[in-house]
Amino acid sequence: MSTAASPAAPAATTNPPVQSSVEEPLDLVRLSLDENIYVKLRGDRELRGKLHAFDQHLNMVLGDVEENVTHVDLNPETQEEIVRTTSRKVDMLFVRGDGVILVSPPAKAV
Amino acid sequence: MLFYSFFKTLVGQAVTVELKNDLSVTGTLVSVDQFLNIKLDNIRVDNESENPHMMSVKNCFIRGSVVRYVHLPPAAIDTALLQDAARREIQPSTAAVRGA
Amino acid sequence: MADVAPAKKSPSDFLNTILGCRVVVKLNSGIVYKGVLACLDGYMNIALEQTEEYANGQLKNKYGDAFIRGNNVLYISRIE
Repeated sequence: MSTAASPAAPAATTNPPVQSSVEEPLDLVRLSLDENIYVKLRGDRELRGKLHAFDQHLNMVLGDVEENVTHVDLNPETQEEIVRTTSRKVDMLFVRGDGVILVSPPAKAV
Repeated sequence: MLFYSFFKTLVGQAVTVELKNDLSVTGTLVSVDQFLNIKLDNIRVDNESENPHMMSVKNCFIRGSVVRYVHLPPAAIDTALLQDAARREIQPSTAAVRGA
Repeated sequence: MADVAPAKKSPSDFLNTILGCRVVVKLNSGIVYKGVLACLDGYMNIALEQTEEYANGQLKNKYGDAFIRGNNVLYISRIE
């Protein structure tokens, strides 16, 4: 099948103008390219970083990333929950999409 | 296919693959496939004392599905090119409930 | 019998009727999100606006916009 523009279907071959509205959920992520985003991951992990790339699985490449991991330990004597977060920085990170729960542009966060 | 192509451009680079079981493996990227399975050479494991079973392993194949992160060498990545590729990749829209 | 229309509607018809409404989204992990349903797709990926995140019934976070990956979704329900 030729990829050249077919005169029979001109409408289908013209790219739509740059779309700024959100018509499907992934548009929200597309509009966040080159922006700092917040990502919530499985295993009580959170990332903040600049979104350089993503695909439909939510695989992503993030730059200047800060990762926060939340650990909950139980004090064996008092049964108190001890919540502790560890933080680290990564210059450039590929994130596998299957661990993603939520993506949000933090600049717009309340 | 975006990230498959992307990882192919990184063959030969040193990367750290962090697995979902918290094992981190650093090595030279040898090859990658469409599932983002990864082959690494000359590997080294972070916290080798905690993972003595890895001491004699020199190269490995990592199933894509067990990967959590891949730490990348920033110098090897053209972020502008990557963002353009991502915009192009997402154009063919997945079936939206509304707006189809 | 002809006016029992709701019974014939498919799940995606239901989802279309609640676009733009305030909804509650519960995830498999038990975390609950409340917000305005901006849109969703065939994977049940969801875009929410004015999102509030609740864990154990307590408000934990707020997001202006939020994308929720569909595989985590247990249910979506309209808030009256």
